[in-house]
Amino acid sequence: MFDRMNLQVLANHARGAAENMAHTLHRTAHSAFVKETEDFTVMLLNRKGETFAVPMDLGATWYPGLTFGRAIEMIEDYKPGDVGFTNDAYSSYVATHTPDTVLWRPVFYDGEIIAWTGGHIHNTDMGGAVPASLSRALTEIHQEGLRFPPMKLVNEGVFDEHLMRIMSINVRKPDLNVGDLKALVGALITGERKILAMIEKFGKDAFLDGVEALLDHSEAQARDVLASIPDGTWDFSDYADEDSTEANPVRLKLKLTVKGDEAILDFTGSDPQLASSLNVPTGGDPRHSVLLVGIYYILYTLNPKLLLNVGMTRPFTCITPEGSVLNPVHPAAIGMRSLTCARLRSVIFGAFSQAIPERLPAAPAGNNCIVNVMTTDERTKRTVIAAVNPVVGGGGGMPHRDGTNGSGADAAYLKNTPIEITETETPVEFVRYGLAKDSGGAGRWRGGLATEMAFRVFAPDSRITARNRDRSFFRPWGVLGGKAAGLSDMVVNPGTDDERHLGNIDTALLQPGDVLEIHSAGGGGRGHPFDREPWRVLRDVERQYVSVDAAEREYGVVLRGGQIDEAATAARRADRAMVEGHFDYGPERTGYEAQWTPEAYDQLHCILNSLPIHWRFFIKTEIFRRMEGRSGAAGVQEAFDAVCKRFPEVPRTDNTLKAAAE
Amino acid sequence: MDGAFTPDANEKRPADWKIGVDIGGTFMDFCALEANSGRVASLKVLTTPDDPGAELMTGLSLLAEREGLEPEAVNRFVHGTTVGINTIIQRKGASLALFTNAGFEDVVEMARLRMPEMYSLFCARPDPLITRDMIFGIPARLRSDGTETQAPDMAAVAAAVDVARAKGAEGIIISFLHAWRDARQEAAVKAEIARLAPELFTFTSAEVWPVIREYERSSTTIMNGYVHPRVAGYLTALESRLANHKVPARPMLTKSNGGLMNAAEGKRSCVNMLLSGTASGVIGAAWLARQAGEEKILTLDIGGTSADFALIIDGEAQFGTGELIGEFPLYIPSVSVSSIGVGGGSIASVDSQGVLRVGPESAGSIPGPACYGRGGTEATVTDAMAVCGWLGHSQMAYGQLQMEVDLAREVISRLAAKLGRSTEETAQAILDVAISEMFVEVEKLSSRAGVDLRDFTLMPFGGGGPMLGVFLAKELGMARVMASRRPGVVSALGGLVADLRGDFIRTIFEPLEPATLAALGAAYDDLASEGRDWLVSQGHDGPAELRITADMRYAGQSYEIEVALNVAWLTEKNLTAIAQAFHDTHDRIYDFHDPEGLIEVVNLRLAAIGAGPALKFPEAAEVEGAATPLREVRVFTGGRLQDIGLYRRQDLAPGGIFDGPAVVAQEDTTFAIPAGTRASVDRHLNLHLTFAE
Repeated sequence: MFDRMNLQVLANHARGAAENMAHTLHRTAHSAFVKETEDFTVMLLNRKGETFAVPMDLGATWYPGLTFGRAIEMIEDYKPGDVGFTNDAYSSYVATHTPDTVLWRPVFYDGEIIAWTGGHIHNTDMGGAVPASLSRALTEIHQEGLRFPPMKLVNEGVFDEHLMRIMSINVRKPDLNVGDLKALVGALITGERKILAMIEKFGKDAFLDGVEALLDHSEAQARDVLASIPDGTWDFSDYADEDSTEANPVRLKLKLTVKGDEAILDFTGSDPQLASSLNVPTGGDPRHSVLLVGIYYILYTLNPKLLLNVGMTRPFTCITPEGSVLNPVHPAAIGMRSLTCARLRSVIFGAFSQAIPERLPAAPAGNNCIVNVMTTDERTKRTVIAAVNPVVGGGGGMPHRDGTNGSGADAAYLKNTPIEITETETPVEFVRYGLAKDSGGAGRWRGGLATEMAFRVFAPDSRITARNRDRSFFRPWGVLGGKAAGLSDMVVNPGTDDERHLGNIDTALLQPGDVLEIHSAGGGGRGHPFDREPWRVLRDVERQYVSVDAAEREYGVVLRGGQIDEAATAARRADRAMVEGHFDYGPERTGYEAQWTPEAYDQLHCILNSLPIHWRFFIKTEIFRRMEGRSGAAGVQEAFDAVCKRFPEVPRTDNTLKAAAE
Repeated sequence: MDGAFTPDANEKRPADWKIGVDIGGTFMDFCALEANSGRVASLKVLTTPDDPGAELMTGLSLLAEREGLEPEAVNRFVHGTTVGINTIIQRKGASLALFTNAGFEDVVEMARLRMPEMYSLFCARPDPLITRDMIFGIPARLRSDGTETQAPDMAAVAAAVDVARAKGAEGIIISFLHAWRDARQEAAVKAEIARLAPELFTFTSAEVWPVIREYERSSTTIMNGYVHPRVAGYLTALESRLANHKVPARPMLTKSNGGLMNAAEGKRSCVNMLLSGTASGVIGAAWLARQAGEEKILTLDIGGTSADFALIIDGEAQFGTGELIGEFPLYIPSVSVSSIGVGGGSIASVDSQGVLRVGPESAGSIPGPACYGRGGTEATVTDAMAVCGWLGHSQMAYGQLQMEVDLAREVISRLAAKLGRSTEETAQAILDVAISEMFVEVEKLSSRAGVDLRDFTLMPFGGGGPMLGVFLAKELGMARVMASRRPGVVSALGGLVADLRGDFIRTIFEPLEPATLAALGAAYDDLASEGRDWLVSQGHDGPAELRITADMRYAGQSYEIEVALNVAWLTEKNLTAIAQAFHDTHDRIYDFHDPEGLIEVVNLRLAAIGAGPALKFPEAAEVEGAATPLREVRVFTGGRLQDIGLYRRQDLAPGGIFDGPAVVAQEDTTFAIPAGTRASVDRHLNLHLTFAE
């Protein structure tokens, strides 16, 4: 019924509507989260609540494949002018942490709902244990602020004053929340008007058909990409540095199976849910948008004309065992799921990198660290709370160029704040803001450099938080002979007698005159560094990206007085070690996996899976405490036996015993 | 000669010619007015990229030949040039070094971090115009309050000068943190370089544009230095060419802010002319709109590779910062123009799923659309127009291009075969897709600005604007279209009618409270005397108009809005009026304001404007009556082939009325007018289109 020759016209009208909604929200919102960080989304939804159009210029990149159906269905009897909302992950899995409030509004035509407009904003604060409602240390969702299951926020154009009052009294910045919610409702109304204009132009039936054709088209594009990937199965694991204050690694594991134009992403073997807020709530939805963000990047990278909507998720099936970090059960805390999501993306990138090594880059730095300062202005004696620059690292080496320096790949949306603005508003003084030499993974195509930032404070008890810090132990990996990148770190008073390395800790307390230096990880290298043209290596040295020592050590390029020593370089490069395996992980992970072998992890998960969910994280932690001097599957079993001796209450089952026998 | 007016034979006064010249990708456009007689002439000449400036002389000779223009009688000569912007796009600028604070050498490369393509793992920032090996960190530091914690290390400066010179630097850019607060560190380093290496040109960030935000200020200064040698060389050659041609007028240059400056300033403040072409198009459009009594306009300028849009509100162009120069944002005040990479040369294709797309690939101006017969082999938007029958009924571009419709049919029919549709249906679908691409861009523009386009009139210009403009207006639900008599030379006209305009800025960055008023007053006094001095230096002897605005925000916001101020509020220290103006402006732009909110003044700005000559273009009396078509032509429109009227623009007299579907052909463009449209001609020969409900 819909003339396919006009599909691009409909796609453009739909995108135009979504862009209009995004700019309207961006223009009328109140909070820095929406206006500056652009942590919001808007979308057009079909009758079933499936996203069919999103903006490409503004907003977050996480939800073009989001389906609102579950939340929509939890409310009955929609009337024109109603708006539904929720910020509770566990009731419908449409919101994914408490600050994110998701709204949707029916579009009526001829007395029936023919579409929806939807979107979300990240509220500055939703109440709970800590300002901004986010902290890694929180252990259950009840500490993460006020929760609303799906219900009507607006009844026939009138805001529910009871709900607004309940929210306002419970949150720390009610004006911002109210202002942003009203701005989002305004954007939803704009979207509704645009949808009605589309129906006017195309006709109701053609519009309804056309919307489904847009989803089908996106699906066909995704299937084309998958069909271009050889069939096969690839395993990949990656680790977040710390699972809680106890600081054991979190492993995410993926078995990717591509068959024809479909793919299965089996996350079985990922760690059990954590007693920290790093869990990612998905409800086990096989196509949950938050699981597929890495997929969006891969599809779009391989086909930049990809239409972004729910259709592209259809060829994918995700398996996330209940009670795991990727499918936690209530009341696991979830506020800082964005850290885990960065690892989730790198796991997906790693699996696909093996399938199509010639078409994808090495690992991006993958630590999107957001730095906040709370200090006292000595002139006004006032407390100042301010966001300083994000400290993110470079992209991975690409098939035909170096990774981008300082940011890139899946962190390309982040913006910094001018130093002059920060120094004028906040009593801190920058000592350094720039790129870190030798931090990009060496390779035929070098990984992008890390960012390093150092600043001084002037007031006592200045508190710094650096959310989402990671990659201080497990490096961004290199591929195809390329090397892993430099690690992230946070150091107080570097280069002085009282220098303190904080590793992966994400908070610091500073005293007058103290300097805090934060640097990110870099991007992984791609291809053997000895294959990099010497002139590029020389240029990197001239640009201070690579040191003379590293040029010789990593790249085999010998420089003398600023010139390439051709003979010495040839000699150095003749002595070239064989590269084993697709990945270079760096010595830390290699060392870790000598103790924590795949078999050891299998054994660990075998044991944990035999236990009730609420025992698993506890037992994981206790086993890790007893791994000193132990390794492999047998070591894990010994450690577990020791745990059971200390805690005879461990509810062992037949499966636990079977695990021991294996 | 295309004017409908003949000079008065009894006129004895000496001729007084005023000429606007603007250069685009393919053509140099001329718009000339003989002020005594009101005689208007326009012309397009193919550009000569190998010898920039030569086409100018060709044009003057042709105007002399065809219109009787005497070079000695040219008393105003306004020029818009793309020499600067092309230098950046083609990366052919000067070899530069940057001296900045040690520890902050990477600011230029890191920019503001964010990259344009958010979903691509291959996204990248542009390579900076100065690479890291030519950036020299000088130990030096100012605090934000202007306290110097470390004076510039002159030994480091000397060492850096040696290395920069050895590496072939032609000039040095100096940009230090907090130079917006105190320019003395930069000035000291500049003086030292002048002493050590007088042959190197230098620009400091504070002298180019002293605004807070180190990346934006540095990058603007770098662009200025990067284009400086080429622009200065071009302008020197231009001056001598005009002098040799016996043109008495000293050339004036169009600026990105829509105003003018003289050539001497253009050689140093090169960055101010980077976007002059698009800016003077909007200025020309605004002038035409005011003349026709239109207040709210959406301009649409379609060229070969792109479509540019701008809003005119209350008859005035809108200003902004962050306009793109190639890949680099420009942070000086510029006329706001949105651009999308879809134009007459955009290529249509059918993807592997059988979906028809248009762009982003373009056939550009060479080889151009297939129907230009210059070797193009891909189906473009212009070819689709030709296949539908809208084009090919007259000479194009003042006779410099011939339309070969058969070549267009050939390329479009290949796509038609893939789609299984007729050639005409396919051509129409290409136009629909191209228009829908522009629709997305305009949706963004109007929602950013918070305006309802149903209140606006579309003004298409450029070679391609009139081809597609009416279709786009209908798509956007706009009620009216207005087209000037010479849509092909609106930018040249914009230069002709522009005023002198210099922009000046002081960063204040203080809360709006009584204690700040003294600083505001002092900053205003400084800016006002700078502005007046500037106008004098430009040779302006008329009254000066000083417009004062402030960039303000609520504390905690990280972006500012520009608020128009009344000078009296500053001199009389009227805090309430200033605050109220900010609240009102915030409410107008963002739909809310916060009466309790603490306000900060980030910058004070002043525009010094010296009005140009009050040019009077002739008017003719309207005579109501139906216009007569030249003949009928066959056009595919409304889903079928129809015989519709072809009108010649020069035949359309004031008061003439006709209905679509119709084609209006003229020497610089062609109007496609679909059914359901009524066209009428006003006293200025503008064409006004309205749509039936």
